Amino acid sequence: MNHARGLFYFAVILGATACAVTPYGYSGDGYGRGYYGGTYEPYGYDYGYWGGDYRVGPPLGGERGGFRGGDPRAGGDGHGPGGRGFGGHGGGGHGGGAPSIPHGARGGGGHR
Amino acid sequence: MTSSAAFAEPTGFPPLSDAGTPEHLQGKIVWADLVTPNLAGAQAFYTGLFGWVIHDIHVGNTGYAVASVDGRPLAGLVQRTIPPGEQKQSHWLTFLAVQNADTTVRTAAADGAKILSKPTTYGHRGRQAVLAGPDGAVFAVLASSSGEPGDFLAAPGEWIWSTLLTQDPDGAAKFYQSVFGYAAFDLPSDDGLQHVILSSQDYARAGINSLPKDSYHRHAHWLNFIRVDDAAAASAKAVALGGKILVAPRLDRHGGHIALLADPYGAPFGIMEWTATDSQTEPK
Repeated sequence: MNHARGLFYFAVILGATACAVTPYGYSGDGYGRGYYGGTYEPYGYDYGYWGGDYRVGPPLGGERGGFRGGDPRAGGDGHGPGGRGFGGHGGGGHGGGAPSIPHGARGGGGHR
Repeated sequence: MTSSAAFAEPTGFPPLSDAGTPEHLQGKIVWADLVTPNLAGAQAFYTGLFGWVIHDIHVGNTGYAVASVDGRPLAGLVQRTIPPGEQKQSHWLTFLAVQNADTTVRTAAADGAKILSKPTTYGHRGRQAVLAGPDGAVFAVLASSSGEPGDFLAAPGEWIWSTLLTQDPDGAAKFYQSVFGYAAFDLPSDDGLQHVILSSQDYARAGINSLPKDSYHRHAHWLNFIRVDDAAAASAKAVALGGKILVAPRLDRHGGHIALLADPYGAPFGIMEWTATDSQTEPK
């Protein structure tokens, strides 16, 4: 009897999970039969007023800015050692400001 | 119970890179997926604008195509029908490189993220999951089976930059630092809006910006930029192909022009000139 009841609850939970729909438009129907369920977002793309000082691009490198810490080389995914508040390995960004994007030419003998 | 292993590995997904870096590039933005209601129309637009070569691949019951530049795959295009009467926003989904998708998802969830799509393995690409950060911005994580593409300057037509527009740059910086281990820098700004740079391996990987003032598009979201040689010419071409200019070409921090465009089905994306030479960027 208890076994049957357990199976019933398991089936209910499984069904609810399979039908779950989030506000982001994802659904369980993407699993198994295709790609994930989709990523539509709330409608609208008016980006408003971009003042003359509004900047979104990367720096050229060395631009002075406040360093908040963090060093991925010291840790892996998530809360690994060094994932928070570590700094100062001197690799080019921390002491001299924010680093830039990769700028080496492809096929130039190494990826940096 | 449905076995994910029985279904979740559709064929056709190419590896992220034929020549992946031996070094894992944690936090590097390595892929983007467009969700569009018109796959054929989107293919025509992006091929015409950037010269992408796009191939359809078989992914179960989902229309999916992979876009490449010079044989290097860089994006996917996913067909999703918009139900009649609904207004949905077509969008580019940003993928961040991680070493272990399952571990990252657990960490992100503990830090306030919502899991929108559980870790799933796709063909030769790797294992990926879709999340929404605490601010609601949707992104994906990908543990590539082939390593990450190396750190070279993006060629025209390739992704060169990504930024998160959010109401809470401080909270977002803490979240992404915690989950991905980024170093973070505040850049000076005269307009009172924040601009944070996230870096790993001593390279800027992404930005975090306050949402622009008077923005109707108020929900937090990632915005990805493709390198172009001439932002004005690319903008005009986008319009000729049925797209829209959302923000006209303008000079940005790095000295090149950027613009925001929308494809014919409404998906916003950025274009960015990059003319700096090695001598202008800080040597590593």
